[in-house]
Amino acid sequence: MSSSGQNEKSKNRKEKRRVFDETGKRLLRELWPLRGWILLVAVLCLVLIGCAVAVPELLGAQIDKLYDWTKTRAPGLARSLLPGLGLLLGVYALQEGLTYLKYYLLQSVVSRYFCAEFRIRLSEKLRRLPISFLDKTPAGDVIDRMMDDVSEMAASVYFLVNILLSGFLQIAVIALILFFTDWRLAIPVVLLAPLSVFLSARMATLGEEHWDKHFELGGKLTSLAEEAYTNYPTTKAFNREEELQKRYDELSERHQQSGILGGFLSSIVQPVIALVNALAYIAVTVVGGWLILHRGVLIGTVVTVIFFVRQFSGPLESIAWSLGYIQHVKACAKRVFTMLDLPEEPDASGAVEPPVRGRVELRHVDFSYDPKKPLIRDLNMDIQPGRKVAIVGPTGAGKTTIVNLLMRFYDIEAGQILVDGRDVSELSRAEDRRLFGMVLQDTWLFKGTVAENVAYGSPEATREEIERACECAYCDGFIRRLPQGYDTVISEDSTAVSSGQKQLLTIARALLADRPLLILDEATSNVDTRTELLIQKAMDRLMGGRTCFVIAHRLSTIVDADLILVIRDGQIVEQGTHKSLLAQKGFYYELFQSQYAI
Amino acid sequence: MRKLLSYLKPYRDRIALATLLMAVSAACDLLLPTLMADVLDKGVYGAAEADTFGYILTTAGWMLGLSLLSLASVSGGYWVVYHVVAGYTKDLRSALFRKVHTMTLTEVGRIGTSNLVTRSTHDVNTLNEVISMLCGGILIIPLMFLGGVVLCMRKDLVLSLVILCAVPLLIWAGLLLSKRIEHLWEVADEQCDRQNDLVRERLRGIRVIRAFDRERYAHERITDATHVMAENFIRANVSMEIIDPGAAFVLNAAALLVVYLGGLRMERGGGLTAGDVFAIIQYINIILSAIVAVSYDIVMLPHVRVAVRRLSQITESTGLEDNRPAEGLSFSGAIDLEHAGFTYPGGSLPALADVDIHIRPGEWVSVIGGTGSGKSTLAELLLAFRAPTEGTLRFDGRDAAEFSPKDIRANVSCALQKSMLYAGTVAENLRMGKPEATDGELWTALELAQAADFVREQPEGLDFRLEPAGTNVSGGQKQRLAIARAILKDAPIYLFDDSFSALDFLTEAKVRKALNERLAGKTRIVITQRVVSAMHSDRIFVLADGALVGAGTHAELLESCSIYREIYLSQTGGGAA
Repeated sequence: MSSSGQNEKSKNRKEKRRVFDETGKRLLRELWPLRGWILLVAVLCLVLIGCAVAVPELLGAQIDKLYDWTKTRAPGLARSLLPGLGLLLGVYALQEGLTYLKYYLLQSVVSRYFCAEFRIRLSEKLRRLPISFLDKTPAGDVIDRMMDDVSEMAASVYFLVNILLSGFLQIAVIALILFFTDWRLAIPVVLLAPLSVFLSARMATLGEEHWDKHFELGGKLTSLAEEAYTNYPTTKAFNREEELQKRYDELSERHQQSGILGGFLSSIVQPVIALVNALAYIAVTVVGGWLILHRGVLIGTVVTVIFFVRQFSGPLESIAWSLGYIQHVKACAKRVFTMLDLPEEPDASGAVEPPVRGRVELRHVDFSYDPKKPLIRDLNMDIQPGRKVAIVGPTGAGKTTIVNLLMRFYDIEAGQILVDGRDVSELSRAEDRRLFGMVLQDTWLFKGTVAENVAYGSPEATREEIERACECAYCDGFIRRLPQGYDTVISEDSTAVSSGQKQLLTIARALLADRPLLILDEATSNVDTRTELLIQKAMDRLMGGRTCFVIAHRLSTIVDADLILVIRDGQIVEQGTHKSLLAQKGFYYELFQSQYAI
Repeated sequence: MRKLLSYLKPYRDRIALATLLMAVSAACDLLLPTLMADVLDKGVYGAAEADTFGYILTTAGWMLGLSLLSLASVSGGYWVVYHVVAGYTKDLRSALFRKVHTMTLTEVGRIGTSNLVTRSTHDVNTLNEVISMLCGGILIIPLMFLGGVVLCMRKDLVLSLVILCAVPLLIWAGLLLSKRIEHLWEVADEQCDRQNDLVRERLRGIRVIRAFDRERYAHERITDATHVMAENFIRANVSMEIIDPGAAFVLNAAALLVVYLGGLRMERGGGLTAGDVFAIIQYINIILSAIVAVSYDIVMLPHVRVAVRRLSQITESTGLEDNRPAEGLSFSGAIDLEHAGFTYPGGSLPALADVDIHIRPGEWVSVIGGTGSGKSTLAELLLAFRAPTEGTLRFDGRDAAEFSPKDIRANVSCALQKSMLYAGTVAENLRMGKPEATDGELWTALELAQAADFVREQPEGLDFRLEPAGTNVSGGQKQRLAIARAILKDAPIYLFDDSFSALDFLTEAKVRKALNERLAGKTRIVITQRVVSAMHSDRIFVLADGALVGAGTHAELLESCSIYREIYLSQTGGGAA
């Protein structure tokens, strides 16, 4: 769990304790499509309550027979019990059968709806979110929302529907019946019920607060362990084990302290309810005893009431739990709703005849990631079809910004980008992107076969076409040596292919897609010399005849570029050819010389 | 397993106390129905003595007392339980953490970092939950059960048989079911992992996905996985929901049996009263609610097996490092590798073979090679993370095995391949190698490593807080901080293991220049893939596939070593000679 997510959750909980705030209402609205099913569950609940009411009556009647026998000593007691007990057995069977049916329905309808529907909605949302949001938000945070938060939501809506329907209905019906059975016995029971709900809900809420703290510290503990274990070599190299141990133990101590209170408070919710319940029990005994002695109330009536008291505690407990829990649910739901409500990326309707020649112009382009820090101001360039543009500069200077703008991962603030004289903002993003082939330094493969990965940009490609592209990109050889050749399943962290080979695969992918324009981000390191030469050759093949933008990390590869843009601190500080830039003796010259400096 | 239990030892007394308190509470709960039956039997139906209502009141008083006692003891019990659990968990965590840091790098690598993390978090939490369950909830069931049976026996031996049979039957059925559910949960967990991976994959590849306009496909993959996962998840949940109504039915049926048998026994005239039957039914009720309360926890039990097995792998690990205390030795900086080789355990080919390198004190050498050339293994040998499996490594002419690893590490200051920073301030991170360093010294080191500007830009300066593993600074900044940390530490030997890779040439040139001025006279070893990082050093050693294929100056190697020439040409295009 990301720490920012945790903070948001706990803050959210502190602000609002009302059950039906915006999020609560929206959760209810989300239940509307399920109304038919929920109605069915409600009917089941009513039948179940009927059973719950019948049981104490029936059982009380049988016990009554036992007490009567004590007075009358009439023969045939056991036999006289049989019909009532048989009926009870039937009622029990019905009751538990229906209980299971109710769980089953709730699970397979309500839980499934929330589990699947919301995940799919979030996934759909992901298609339309701007990259700027995804760049700013840690992947863990999005995953948390899609996985944990949705799970929590599903589990809790299930919980709440169950409790709201059966819990409250049951309590209401039993309270009514108690009044009809004997109002004098009913009073203590009904008076004590809210007390137990209040006490236990209070404790559950308090417990939750400590749990929050506990989980937050738990997250810190995890990241400390993660850090320590990945940093193992550094820790040892600096002989710092003891100090790290001390930090870990201290945090662990705080973590456990918060756990004690949280665990304790939530554990005694049930005993507290049991105590209040026992108070009701005692009150019924005293009042009942007095009524039997002085008002001639039947002992069976008192016994029935006592059974009802027991039936009260179950729903009370679950209501208490859910009141403590509901804040947690809403925090999760809120995070899900927030993501669903995020502004989406605007897009042109497109369907314009897309350009194909490959002339790229930037006119008076302004851009910044943060409005307070202007990055690109009045950027102009005009690149003729088939030319090679190199972008160079120190690490972190903003070389990838150009890629972000050309691919419309980010939108320019002012000015125009034109391809073949047409403003790209008239094209839909998909159409615009279809003009570009892209090979990024950060290779990306998805879990699938080699062939599927190569054909990622051109799903309709035949196997022959795939193989031809791979041959061109020098990957046919190693692919054929893989256990299942082109059908070998690979993924991001698969060790079957080296990082250099992954690079080659992404080149094959771009070759196969065959787009008029090309964006290349050179590999930096972690590639052995031989593979690097292959990559270089494959890239040269890929570039042939296309308008290319190359983000260069090695100056040797761009000597022949038609235009070199030198970027420093987000600004284009120099532009020209290799020769003209060297002649300027400016920043490019300094960069170039530094390769050979002592 | 034994080892894991041994951490519970210091808490024996407290566990006993908790059990006692829980037992008291369970006894109170069980006595309540007995008293109630007494009220009904004696107070109302009994020989109507003078003060029947008085008797009722007295008994009610007792009941109240018992209820309060029950709450008090159960609260006390839980209080103790959670203290025990907290203490145990803390001890266990601490022991695991300590153990990992006494293991060898090989052992850490064998188990894997992410596994180590899951074990010290997830598995410890599982154990934590189970122990609180054991000490709290589950302990009550056998107590309730035993107490219920004893009370029943006092009333009627035959009726007690009903409880005696029904409860073990239920527990047996519950365990049987939990086995089935365990499997279902395993599948559900797998699906969940898969779903996680898919989302992560999609987020990582968002640019490529959009570039190739494949958002729909990525979405469909997730949709399919979601349906499969929801299906499995619900199947697991639905199976679990059988426990509650199932247990209720069995125990309720048992209660009916008690009523019938009770009727029979009363007719026989064995002295059984209606109140007794009533009480026994209530015992069953109490046992039922206790069972239902923990039924969901019982399902956890199978997880324990997995957790215990995995934790034992750490606690019982024997791959430990030489733990001799440091003697505080100072080296001169001479290093000799004589026919040194290293083969990973279980590896068929050596990672390093027959390497002869002799470094004089104060010399600046570079080791160059691609991935898999063995250069990282070499760094690990120099830091005593691994011992050569062939040949010897000597510091000042003495076999490295003679020294405590702590002494060796005190003499080698390093910046490692993956720049390792810790959560904490910049100053704390820098002072790791020299705790007594002044702020002035820190700034000097930062200047030399070209990191001063970046630190100065932060409003907190040296107190700028880094996130765990330094995730809030860029790769290049991390490397520069690690370099500054290495420079700050006083040592005769400095080792830079691929620690310039994220720096651009200009920055690297400045760092290199500063290093050579500052560290002149110290032994410097630069391990790199980049020819520009190596070409100016006194001597260059070229590694390929674990073998030393060339040694000499840049000019000599260009002449004599074809691999070096190849690397040089591919990286510079031959732009300078």
